[in-house]
Amino acid sequence: MNALTFTLITQPKFTLDVSPLIPDNLEGKNITHIKNIKLRHGKEIVKLEKLFLIKGKNSNHVCIEKSCDKLIRIGKRMTKGLIDVKGNAGDFLGQEMKNGKINVSGDAGSWVGNRMIDGRININGNIGDYVGAGLPGDPYGMTNGLINIKGNAGDRVGDRMRRGIIVIQGKSGDYCGNRIHAGTIIALDRVGKHPGDGMRRGTIVLAKKPKHISATFKSCGNLKMEFLRLLFTQLIKMDPDFEIFKKYGPIAHRFSGDLARNGKGEILILQLINRR
Amino acid sequence: MKLNNVYIDDTFAEAFSMKATRIIITAMNLKWAYRAANAIRGFASSVIACGCEADIEKELKPSETPDGRPGISVMIFAMSTKDLEKQVPMRVGQSVMTTVTTACFSGLQTKEKISLGKSLRFFGDGYQIAKVINGKRFWRIPVMHGEFICEESTGITKAIGGGNFLVLGKTARHALTACEKAVDEIQKVSGVITAFPGGVVGSGSKIGSKYDFLTASTNEAYCPTLKGQVKSALTAEIGSVLEIVIDGIDEKSISKAMRIGIEAACSFGPSKGIYRISAGNYGGNLGKHLFHLRKLFK
Repeated sequence: MNALTFTLITQPKFTLDVSPLIPDNLEGKNITHIKNIKLRHGKEIVKLEKLFLIKGKNSNHVCIEKSCDKLIRIGKRMTKGLIDVKGNAGDFLGQEMKNGKINVSGDAGSWVGNRMIDGRININGNIGDYVGAGLPGDPYGMTNGLINIKGNAGDRVGDRMRRGIIVIQGKSGDYCGNRIHAGTIIALDRVGKHPGDGMRRGTIVLAKKPKHISATFKSCGNLKMEFLRLLFTQLIKMDPDFEIFKKYGPIAHRFSGDLARNGKGEILILQLINRR
Repeated sequence: MKLNNVYIDDTFAEAFSMKATRIIITAMNLKWAYRAANAIRGFASSVIACGCEADIEKELKPSETPDGRPGISVMIFAMSTKDLEKQVPMRVGQSVMTTVTTACFSGLQTKEKISLGKSLRFFGDGYQIAKVINGKRFWRIPVMHGEFICEESTGITKAIGGGNFLVLGKTARHALTACEKAVDEIQKVSGVITAFPGGVVGSGSKIGSKYDFLTASTNEAYCPTLKGQVKSALTAEIGSVLEIVIDGIDEKSISKAMRIGIEAACSFGPSKGIYRISAGNYGGNLGKHLFHLRKLFK
C-alpha cells in the first residue's frame, strides 16, 4: 500500500511540533480527521492542512517530504511502523520512541533519540549534540534501541545513556560517551576531546585512536575481545549497512574507566584486520 | 513384516514427555567447541540417574552461530522445567565456561525460558557486563583466558524422550556394526539426539526391580544369557540385543529418526547377522507416546 505522505507546502517560520504524525496516532483515521489534526507552530496552534499536502493511505508507513530542520519531535513516542523523512529533521527526533523505525535522508538536529526506549533510527546525514541523551532532570538517556548515523555527530554523544547502541560512521564531537551508565557507542571516525568522561559502565568502541584520553582511564593493553566479534556479527545480521564492521577484528586496545567515578566502563580502540 | 529379510516385530516403542533445550557452544575452533560439548554431555545418558540426557545435535558453520565462530549445537532433555533449570546452568558453568575460548548461546527461541548467563554471571564477582544486542541480552564474564560470553537465557520446549528400537543380532559385534550405521544416519536428522555413549545402549532396562530401591533394572526378556531361565523374547539364533534410544523435540522427528535408523540397521540383513528389530514396550506403563514400528514404514 502507498505510504501516508505529508508534503510540506512552505518552510515553517518557527519550529513545528509534528509529534502527532506517528502511525499509532494516524491508524484508522480518515483524511478529514487527519487534515484537522492540530500542530503547534511556534506559539500558535494550526491545522495540519494549512502546512502539508496529504496523500496515501497506509498509516503504518508515514512519509514526510520536503522536511526541514524546523520540524521537531518527529516520531515522538511511536510504538510501531515506519516514518520516512525526506530532507532534514529538527531536534528531538524519535524522542521517547518505544518501537518502530525512523529513516532520515538528510541531517537531524540535537537530542536525536532523547530517552528512546526501543526501536531504530537511521540518519543519512549529520546530527547535532546529545544523541541518545537524557534531558536535564531525566534519570537516563536512551534505554534501548539502535541509532545509526552515517554522517558526523556533535558533542556529548549518548550522554547518560542506559542501554542501547549508537553507531556513528562519521566524526564525533567532544565528550563522546559522556557520563554513560551503560550501553554501547561505536564511532568509526575521529572523536573529539575527553571520550568517556565520567562513564560508569558501558562500552565506547573507537575505530581511530583519539588524540586525548583522560588520565582516569587505565590501559589494559591489546586484547582479543570476543565480545566485539559477537557485536559485529549481530549488527551485520541486523542490517547489511553494517557490513563495514567486517574489516575490524576482535583485537582492541582496552582502556578501563572512568576511574574518577569508580567506573567499570571501557574504551576499545579497534584494529583493522590485516588481510594479506 | 520384513525389511531386507529382517523381521520387524509388531510392537511399539514407548516414549514419555520431557522438556528440552538447545544451546550453541562456540570456540576459537571446532576442536575446543567439541571439548566443551563432550564435557557437557558427559554423564548425561539417562534421566534414571544423570538428571538429564544430553548429546551433540550437529556441527554449526561460523555463519550459523551468533558470534561468527565455529560451533556445536547441544540438546539437553530433562523430565521437567525444574530439572532443566538445575542441570543446564550447572553443566554450562562447569563444562563450557571452564573450556578455553568458549562462548554459550541459546539455540531455541521460545517464550518459556530458563536461565543461562543469568545464573552464571555471578561468577564475574561484580565485574560482569550485560549487553543487549538485537533484542537479546548477553553477559560478558571476565575470566582468566579473556571473557566468557553467555546469553542470558535459553528457550525450552515440550519434547519426547525414550523413542527406541532394539537390534537383535547373532553376536554383539554384528549388532554393534548395524547400530553404528543406524546412529550415523540418525545424527543427520535435526532435532533428535541419541544420548547414550556412542548412541547405543548395551544394557537396556525395564521399569522396576525386585529390589525396592531400584526404579529400573535389566530387561531379562532380552538378555541372551537368560534364555531358558526366564520368559525370553529371544530365539535360539540371537546372541546379542542392542538398543538405540532417541530423544527428540516432537513425534515427527523421532518417527523419522527411528525409520531411518531401522532402515540402516536392516540394510545388513540376516546374512550379516541381523535377524530382528523390536522395541522397548512396557505395556503402557512408561509413557503416552507410542511409536508402532510397522506404522513407521506406511
